Amino acid sequence: MTGTALVTGGASGLGQALVRQLLAKDMHVVCVDLVPPDTHANLIFIKCDLADRRAVNIGWSAILAAGPYDLVVLNAGVSATGQFESIPAEVYRRLITLNTETPIRMASGLMREAALRSGAQLVFVSSLSHFTGYPGAAVYAASKDALAVYAKSIRAAFRNRGVSVISMYPGPLRTPHAERHAPAGANASRRMQPNEAALILLAGTIAGDKVIIPGIPAKLTALAGRLFPATVTRWMRREIFQKLDRSVF
Amino acid sequence: MTDRILITGATSGIGNALTKRIAHDNDVLVTGSRSAELVSPDLPAGVRYVQADQTRPEEAVDLIDGALESSGWSGLDLAVLNAGIGFACEPHAETPDTIHQTLDVNLMASMLLARSLSGRLEAAGGKLVLIGSVAHRGASGFATYAASKAGLHGFARALREEWRNRIRVQIIHPGPTATPMHARAGFDPGRIGRLFLKPETMAAMVHRAIRADKSPVTVSFGRYILSGAFAGRRL
Repeated sequence: MTGTALVTGGASGLGQALVRQLLAKDMHVVCVDLVPPDTHANLIFIKCDLADRRAVNIGWSAILAAGPYDLVVLNAGVSATGQFESIPAEVYRRLITLNTETPIRMASGLMREAALRSGAQLVFVSSLSHFTGYPGAAVYAASKDALAVYAKSIRAAFRNRGVSVISMYPGPLRTPHAERHAPAGANASRRMQPNEAALILLAGTIAGDKVIIPGIPAKLTALAGRLFPATVTRWMRREIFQKLDRSVF
Repeated sequence: MTDRILITGATSGIGNALTKRIAHDNDVLVTGSRSAELVSPDLPAGVRYVQADQTRPEEAVDLIDGALESSGWSGLDLAVLNAGIGFACEPHAETPDTIHQTLDVNLMASMLLARSLSGRLEAAGGKLVLIGSVAHRGASGFATYAASKAGLHGFARALREEWRNRIRVQIIHPGPTATPMHARAGFDPGRIGRLFLKPETMAAMVHRAIRADKSPVTVSFGRYILSGAFAGRRL
């Protein structure tokens, strides 16, 4: 692989694993996050709070200047779990900005400003919850559903301009973030390692996949959610919402 | 029985037609973005109006909360969150401003209102109805609009399950309707626009869907044909 990649949320979790793997493949990487990732000669770090509209306005020119890009992974995201109405409105505002609004603005803006090279790939990291529903994280679920359908909606228009759009729907990963939001007694060893998910994502970009659901359990869950949406959402309530002993945001 | 009903975005389109349909035997409070003097000719007598611009969701929530408080409504039987906005253009032509407005009105304001209304809805054993769109499955010329409605769909799916046995939650996806939204969105449906349902017809179908309580539910041509309304059956 050659060229320049842009990864949002590259300092931890799936983004961190991706940044490391892309650097190992000699790509130049631009990472946008709040905290810097490990330093590297081919890495540019842009500090920007992607959950804040004004900060995105300010950081945008630096993101454009570091392009054009061959691969963009819009990965930054947070969750908020617990009883819906008990979580403050400000938390939901930041969540929707980070998970939905900023990726949409970036995709649209990168295309408008010709910051995507011909043949570039644009990856949206949605969530497996798109197929299952997610009681106990209604706003997170909304943010990821919105992102999934945005990706679907722009695919043809972007393809006509030489950019392929990829939707990724990861299930729970073994990250500190997932740990905080998991219900009590959840088995962390069943979560996929971020490195493995990053490998699957990169393999998918090479194979030209449009949709990436990493791992067999996640694929089966997605299938079940498509076939029996109400049953699977009911099951999610029992397995997650009813076991949540606290709100985390 | 008289219900206390809140309808957002009730000064035109489906929201307005629904308000006219239910105003005579209920207590209705509606919202819109324009001033009361401008909208009063379009609203039935007895309906209370609060000007709350949902492009600023946090302020709109406070204004609506205040209006419910001053109306003495400690309980709310039905909230229909219907206000919506859209912009028709190629994805790269959407500006930060149109993206913000679309997500604020269609998604953020509805979620924050659901949050602030939960106490009143629960007190009355009430019901939350979200008005989505058939575009929630994806629409190339309205990408952010489709995204916002998909978000609303996922929100309703999660919340209906989370609030089960407490507050009923329903999402209704109307199909193409001849409302002023298309013109405001910069979208000309052309000849196909003649097939769009009238807002009054759509409001009747939405009203029926609210009483049936199925969620998610799509109300569009197919349902119009099946209902027998074309043959004169009353909706």
